[in-house]
Amino acid sequence: MTVPPATRTRGREAAQALAAELSKLATLPATFLTLGGTFVVNLILAIAFTNAGLRDSTGTRSAPDIGLASIGYGQAGFVILGVMAACSEYVGGQIRTTLTAMPRRALQFTAKHVALAIVVLPAAAITAASGVALAAGVLGDTAAPVTSGRVAGALGGVTAYLALTTLISAAVGALVRRTLAAVVVLLGYLFIAGPLLRDHVPAARYLPDSAGFAMWFPPAEDAGAVTPVHGGLLLMAWTVVLIAVVVLGYRRWDV
Amino acid sequence: MTGGDASRSHVDVITIDNLVKRRGSREILSGISFRARPGRVTGFLGPNGAGKSSTLRILLGLDRATSGAALIGSVPFAKLPDPLAMVGAMLDGPGAHRARTGRAHLRWVARSAGLPRARVDEVLEVVGLTNAASKRVGAYSLGMGRRLGLATALLGDPEILVLDEPVNGLDPDGIRWIRTLLRERAASGRTVLLSGHLMGELAETVDDVVVVNEGKVVADGTLGEVTGAYRTLEDAFFALTTGAAS
Ligand SMILES: Nc1ncnc2c1ncn2[C@@H]1O[C@H](COP(=O)(O)OP(=O)(O)OP(=O)(O)O)[C@@H](O)[C@H]1O
Ligand SMILES: [Mg+2]
Repeated sequence: MTVPPATRTRGREAAQALAAELSKLATLPATFLTLGGTFVVNLILAIAFTNAGLRDSTGTRSAPDIGLASIGYGQAGFVILGVMAACSEYVGGQIRTTLTAMPRRALQFTAKHVALAIVVLPAAAITAASGVALAAGVLGDTAAPVTSGRVAGALGGVTAYLALTTLISAAVGALVRRTLAAVVVLLGYLFIAGPLLRDHVPAARYLPDSAGFAMWFPPAEDAGAVTPVHGGLLLMAWTVVLIAVVVLGYRRWDV
Repeated sequence: MTGGDASRSHVDVITIDNLVKRRGSREILSGISFRARPGRVTGFLGPNGAGKSSTLRILLGLDRATSGAALIGSVPFAKLPDPLAMVGAMLDGPGAHRARTGRAHLRWVARSAGLPRARVDEVLEVVGLTNAASKRVGAYSLGMGRRLGLATALLGDPEILVLDEPVNGLDPDGIRWIRTLLRERAASGRTVLLSGHLMGELAETVDDVVVVNEGKVVADGTLGEVTGAYRTLEDAFFALTTGAAS
């Protein structure tokens, strides 16, 4: 007869799962390659947008607006990061190690997404701020005056948007399990289906992409527009619902 | 069977009870039942596609059974409070992402159970991977991948080992080493369940044998009982598995 192992509290188990998932992200070379690559590409795009802004004599020349324009493309890097975080579990049969070490699947899945948010939030903030700083520096005195509250609001909105988009991408990755397929689905939605819907279906403003853009794009004039706060709440709701739905499947399916 | 302790409930007995698994219209497990007991090495043998890995995946909570139960002591694997300390598992493949180093892989697993970093270096030493610990898993040979899988299984110094084809890919030294390791663990009262295709090297390692073929148990008993009238376990195996197939 052997002594049963000492039991862990749920809180301790959750903290250990989070530490394990953070460790996985930190030791996957793709994590920092993707974040670094996204930062560089976003900065190059920001330079291009700022130069275009300089030549455009009719535009407003607002540093946050011009400096954040590149995020529309830079978000692709965060989509890829989220998908890779999820789909890397299926490389080398790692998912079986994950689930024998952490068999409470809902807990493990939640820990993975929290870990991803912890890694992505500072990276998103740095990426967004670098574009705005660059635009402000280049535009110099010619920049339209903006309040620091407006800048902070836009940066906060973009950072939250990128983090939530990464989490949605991870959930979709966990559902599809194949990196390429999940990336194609997500980018297809963000760059093709989303814009098409936005132009033709009024209710599309409540979809994740449009609601998310409302978090940082200059608010439109018409009264029915989604405000940044509402956009943020909507995107958060989309994220939570999507993760919850994927967990329902993830708890049951065979790996 | 091995006698009277079948009804005793140890925390470290593995009980497979009438397991059925259907995939689509195919039944790949048709009522598998057996036990693996502490202090014994149980060999779970059968030809390719017999259902060994499918049974072990259900035991480890990775796949869901259509019906039946697989228990560690009296609970399913997913209910174990501290799974790594109770069961060490190795399935096919290293179970590790190829871009990570062996050490980084073991470290995240250790963190999930709150094990100290020093334990990672200990198991690397035990399986002989200390010098390859900083290499990417993708650069490991088949045998090194198996050793990493074993290191992962040993990390929590568990009461129970569940190993799917542990000798697959190991060199003769590795086979001898794992045989000694498994015998030592059984001698210290722990439970070892391993699958295989029946080779000479396993016959010297196992105490109990469960032979499975086409999703059904065709023999279950001590090594002596299953070998029975046959000259060797190998002869018994071929008689049992080809007999059931025809
Ligand atoms: N994911 C799966 N989807 C469909 N069928 C599967 C799956 N996994 C296993 N099977 C089928 O289940 C049966 C049992 O397979 P299993 O892998 O359990 O056999 P095994 O005894 O481990 O064989 P091997 O000695 O080759 O490892 C096989 O017929 C196989 O084709
Ligand atoms: Mg197998």
